[in-house]
Amino acid sequence: MTNFTVSRRDFLKMSGATVGALVVGQMLPISLAKAAQEAGLLDENMTGHISTMCEMCVWRCGLIAKIVEGKVVKLDGNPDHPHSRGKLCPRGQSGLMNTYDPDRVLTPLIRVGKRGEGKFRPASWDEALDLVASKMQGIKEKYGPEAMVFSSTHNLSQVQFENLLNAYGSPNYGTQRSLCFNAMIVGNLMTYGMEEPARDYSDAEYIILTGRNLMEAVSTSETGDLTMAMDRGAKMVYLDPRFTKTAAKADLWLPIKPGTDLAFHLALLHVIIKEKLYDRAFVNANTVGFEQLETTVAPYTPDWAAGITELKATDIETVARDFAAAGSKALAHNGWRTSNFENSFQTARAIASLNALVGNWGTTMLPASGGHGGEGLGMPPQPPYPRASARRLDGVPWKYPLVPFKLGVFQELRDAMLTGDPYQAHGWFISRQNPVQSLPDRTRTLEAMGKMDFIVSVDIFLNDTSWFADVVLPESSYLERYDPLSQVGNRVFIRQPVIEPQGDAKSALWIYKHLGERLGLGDYFQYEDEEDFLRQQLEPTGVSLEEIRKKGYLDLAAPEHGEEPDIFHFNTASGKVELFSNVLDGAGFDGCADWEEPPMPENGRFYLLTGKVAQHTQFATQNNQLLNKYQDEPRLWINTKSAEKLLLKDFDLVRVTSDVGQINIMVNVTEAIRPDCVYMTPGFGHISKGFTTGYGVGASDSVLHVTYTDPISGGQALTQTFVTVQGI
Amino acid sequence: MSTQATPGKYGFLIDVTHCIDCRACNVACSVENNVSMDSTRIWMNGTGVVGEFPELSSSTAPFHCMHCNDPSCVSACTVGALTRDHDGIVQYDDDRCIGCRYCIYACPFQVPNMDLDEKMPLIVKCDMCGDRLQEGEQPACAATCPPGAIQFGRREDMLAKAHQLITDHPDKFIQHVYGEHENGGTSTFYVSPVPFEELGFPMTSSTSSAYLNRLVTHGTPAVFGAAAISLSGIYLTIKNVKEESAEEARIAAQTAVVQAAEGAAAETAAIEAEESTSEEA
Amino acid sequence: MRKKIIKELQDMPKFVYVLAVLVVFGAIVGLYRLYAGLGATTNLSKAYPWGIWISFDLSTVALSGGAFTLAALVYVFHMHNLHAAVRPTVLAGLLGYTSVLIILFMDLGRWDRAYHFLIYPNVNSALFEVSWCIALYSSILVYELSPVLLANTRWKGIIPVLEKYTIPMVIAGVSLSTLHQSSLGTLFIVMSERLHPLWQSMLLPVFFLISSLASGLALIIAGASISRWVFKRSLPQNLIAKLGWFLPWVLGVYLVLKLGELEVMGELHLLLNSGRYSVLFMLEIIVGMVIPIIMFSSKRVRHDRTASMIGAFFVMFGVVLNRFDASWFAIQPIPGVEPYSPHWMEVAILIGVASGVFLAYTLIGRYFPLFDETMVVESKRKETAVNPQLTASEIGVAE
Repeated sequence: MTNFTVSRRDFLKMSGATVGALVVGQMLPISLAKAAQEAGLLDENMTGHISTMCEMCVWRCGLIAKIVEGKVVKLDGNPDHPHSRGKLCPRGQSGLMNTYDPDRVLTPLIRVGKRGEGKFRPASWDEALDLVASKMQGIKEKYGPEAMVFSSTHNLSQVQFENLLNAYGSPNYGTQRSLCFNAMIVGNLMTYGMEEPARDYSDAEYIILTGRNLMEAVSTSETGDLTMAMDRGAKMVYLDPRFTKTAAKADLWLPIKPGTDLAFHLALLHVIIKEKLYDRAFVNANTVGFEQLETTVAPYTPDWAAGITELKATDIETVARDFAAAGSKALAHNGWRTSNFENSFQTARAIASLNALVGNWGTTMLPASGGHGGEGLGMPPQPPYPRASARRLDGVPWKYPLVPFKLGVFQELRDAMLTGDPYQAHGWFISRQNPVQSLPDRTRTLEAMGKMDFIVSVDIFLNDTSWFADVVLPESSYLERYDPLSQVGNRVFIRQPVIEPQGDAKSALWIYKHLGERLGLGDYFQYEDEEDFLRQQLEPTGVSLEEIRKKGYLDLAAPEHGEEPDIFHFNTASGKVELFSNVLDGAGFDGCADWEEPPMPENGRFYLLTGKVAQHTQFATQNNQLLNKYQDEPRLWINTKSAEKLLLKDFDLVRVTSDVGQINIMVNVTEAIRPDCVYMTPGFGHISKGFTTGYGVGASDSVLHVTYTDPISGGQALTQTFVTVQGI
Repeated sequence: MSTQATPGKYGFLIDVTHCIDCRACNVACSVENNVSMDSTRIWMNGTGVVGEFPELSSSTAPFHCMHCNDPSCVSACTVGALTRDHDGIVQYDDDRCIGCRYCIYACPFQVPNMDLDEKMPLIVKCDMCGDRLQEGEQPACAATCPPGAIQFGRREDMLAKAHQLITDHPDKFIQHVYGEHENGGTSTFYVSPVPFEELGFPMTSSTSSAYLNRLVTHGTPAVFGAAAISLSGIYLTIKNVKEESAEEARIAAQTAVVQAAEGAAAETAAIEAEESTSEEA
Repeated sequence: MRKKIIKELQDMPKFVYVLAVLVVFGAIVGLYRLYAGLGATTNLSKAYPWGIWISFDLSTVALSGGAFTLAALVYVFHMHNLHAAVRPTVLAGLLGYTSVLIILFMDLGRWDRAYHFLIYPNVNSALFEVSWCIALYSSILVYELSPVLLANTRWKGIIPVLEKYTIPMVIAGVSLSTLHQSSLGTLFIVMSERLHPLWQSMLLPVFFLISSLASGLALIIAGASISRWVFKRSLPQNLIAKLGWFLPWVLGVYLVLKLGELEVMGELHLLLNSGRYSVLFMLEIIVGMVIPIIMFSSKRVRHDRTASMIGAFFVMFGVVLNRFDASWFAIQPIPGVEPYSPHWMEVAILIGVASGVFLAYTLIGRYFPLFDETMVVESKRKETAVNPQLTASEIGVAE
């Protein structure tokens, strides 16, 4: 966006949506959190800083809110938080607009019209919670607790969400994980025995990114780390069918054919093993299965891979040799789901094996830092959970034996809700999630919702899922609430209210507790309020709530036993890095990373690529007026030559059709994409009129996505959706 | 060059190789400065995607007020709403501005924006986040940039660092620091892997247009004085000439009359004398 | 009284009603513009902050240069035989400047602060200086015209007092005019490369001044023909011829300076290879200067009423085009941004104001002693002197 094309009028013409007249400077003057004032965080002029945490994406940067005379005026990165180090990405900077969005839902809503009409009436919390509890109780009594599906996208209150569903007794737990990184997690679990090793760029000299578009899918500190590494002379190789902003920074951009990342990495393994470029000492000491890997990758020559990937064999060889030459200072980033195909699991396995071969464990790869509610913190007491006897609807583990319970297969869960196989679900409790937009095949999701007797949504907006719900419970925004403490490494951070919740909005901790109580599950929520919960968390640390609020964090005491934990002990069956996995082998899958042929489009169809932009977080931020102002218009990317063949010009309107749906969208004719691919930025095309800024802007790619699931990791495979494009 | 080109206290160093077009700087600035929704104080310039698949390249860079040493906008502003303060920051007084938009044309970097969607519009321009500077914080854009593309500090430090970068990495950077000499020198320095014209940066001369402007406008009193004096001179001269010639004509006419009268009197006297002589004979 | 007014209205030429309607419509649109702001009523933008209004202002000031040119010739250079043209030309000038002030007011983003230029000086700003000059000069024009306006009122007693200070006021007015006519050119110097090099120059003030002299002379010549058509009164052709005699010299000086400057700056080659800019520039030079130079060098043309009028219009066209070029057509576009074209409301307001100028001129000419010293045209061919003080020798001014 240049300085000459900023005009709200132009934007109105393009999108046809009405933009709220909110001017940034006219944000509602919200009263400061009373708690903040009482805790002495501000001076007598009601001016000061409050430390809390962002929630505009899962990176959860620490931030410092600046308050001037009782008004929150700015958010800045917290220099003490390792994920931000004083910086914030554009979404983090737009946080005030998120909290002050005029479309915020501020009272509980109960549906009065038909589902999808968007007709709700405001209700008190008592009435709403009573209704939800009675419906949930009714479903439990009539169909069993398994008939109630719970789904939420990972957040700091996840622990209490899981507490609710476990106490309720339902095994049916959906998260975004299978839509995102199942391939990577399961790949790492099978190889390293941990979900995701940490990456350290400070010594990195050669980095391979497989689709991890770090310059657009910004994770503040990691994007900064990569930039600094490259400043110090590190080389970066980037695989992507699209010329993204990361490609523009790469030393070598490889415009790889979609679905073939696996071939590339198998060829790297082949070259490194054949030319004996691997770290022999490390491999001998810390891995098992080398011989099997050697046999497996023997046929995967660079020439073979070149034919499949449509890259040059010489490039593949060069990358293999340069990567291995960097030795422990090389890093192959495991990404989230690389090419987003069913074979992405094998790619994750191959990447993990690649890292093991060069022996970078302890240098560029390290054991992961602590989770968000990790060791060293307390918890309120609670009785044990009832046993959930029913099978999970998402096929774990009976259809997907290797998918961890924690990850699940969300798209399978949705399918089961539609088909009623193995049994029919009747209710859906959704918290901080928009499955209507995030699950592949939006039409199918809406059909599945049609089968539910009762749907309740917890969110700060009337998102596309809440639009179809029966009850909407307004959560307070992240600037308005407490959440359970967040642990990063040895440091524990607090999220605390900067302003009073607007309207009647309440925190998730409050909602789950009060709902739980009405469900007769009060014993599982043994805290008075949010502050009491936090105090119980803090108890073992000896730090008071007031102290951590003032500082924003506390450092946990180092472990008392004198010795360092052995980072070369891996949580696998063998205790070592498993280049060959008995677990995989025993389950009937390939023991080593192995080739799986991906499907390919024919008859003039295109691969439908998806990706990220720095200005948005998946499906959640398109209503934010500041991000909307600075975004690129969401159009379908298509290569110049492909566009010519279809007689298309820039900005023409086209119909895009997949096996399950079709959309209309304007094209962006560009050189920056392979001729056999088209690309849409996900998250647009909202259908909830509760998004006055976002409604109708762009189109939704979930309408087009066909549901494919990798049988090993349960990850979805979005780019296996192929589409036709026609001018209108 | 210009007599008023004293460098300011602060400076920016923007490394184009770091910029990833995330626009965190754009958003941060909007929030920090309550910028109206239809305008912006900072925006993205760039090359766009250059080349043919797969030989492609692209660079972007954020752009805002350069805070010139001798600002053209300050020189042009009809009512002096734009001024350069003692720290070298170009400030805008939104109580004084009359919305004449001369500054928009004057600025060689095309910086001043105007929130024309407002009924009563004002100029929109970077002011280095003065409130933040007072608190010892960096301007919002520099403070938030995740890949550290925008750096901020003392002007001489930023300039020295810019030159260090291009000297140490001649293969990586164009050997020119943009903003050092443009328009007479500014407080914002760029180092780039591609020529600055390709980024869409305005290429200006090293003489500030403010200097050229002043050369002429400072002649105003002299021109007025010269005109008034020469016109008065011309008026009086011609008036004198006309009066003199009118006077001469009048004198000539009078002399003619007197001469005619004298001639007539002499004739009469001669006739009388003749008559008297003829009577005596 | 009412009957008298109705009779007057019935006697009015019909075009007066058309003008009145245009004025009212323009006024309504103008009020709306003041209420709704520039964004809603114009196509001005950050890429093109000045538009047709500014071009109109520049052109009108240049054309209104007739007032100061004539005042200088009559009072400073004592060419009293041109005195008859003073009042109509000064009125034209005053109305011209009034329309400029109205349009400037419309153009100000913050019209509520229009008075700020009086109390917040920036002595470096060409626009500040222009504002003051125009304000002062307009006052002087009012002063010069006051004898006409007060002639039939009860204040006519002070007219002799006013006329006593005519000379110093005229000298001040001509000096001010010299200043702002040239400063309007200075305005564009600070824009450096944004204005195409065929026009951009440190000599812009000189160019604007000289061309305003030329357009001023042309306005008087053309104005004589117009007033003959509208008011059935005009100047004797010999006087018009005398003014026409100056034109080739003024235009010639401009041409030499302009082309010489381009050559010195090494920009002469741009004359032919700048695409549409070459076309615009050549139009200015050829239609606005070369052709009139040729025409007015001919004694026959100078003494021919129609030919001299046509020549004058060519000069005015050239100067107006020059102003439009400097402020609009020769402003380099911004790549990727649609070039500016005016909103209908901008045009409506402009037409309203221009109509107001013609309407006011017509009404004042009708009801005030504007033309007492000029001739009445009794028939198409014969021209009879009314003023007995114009002697035969003065009518037949030496060639």
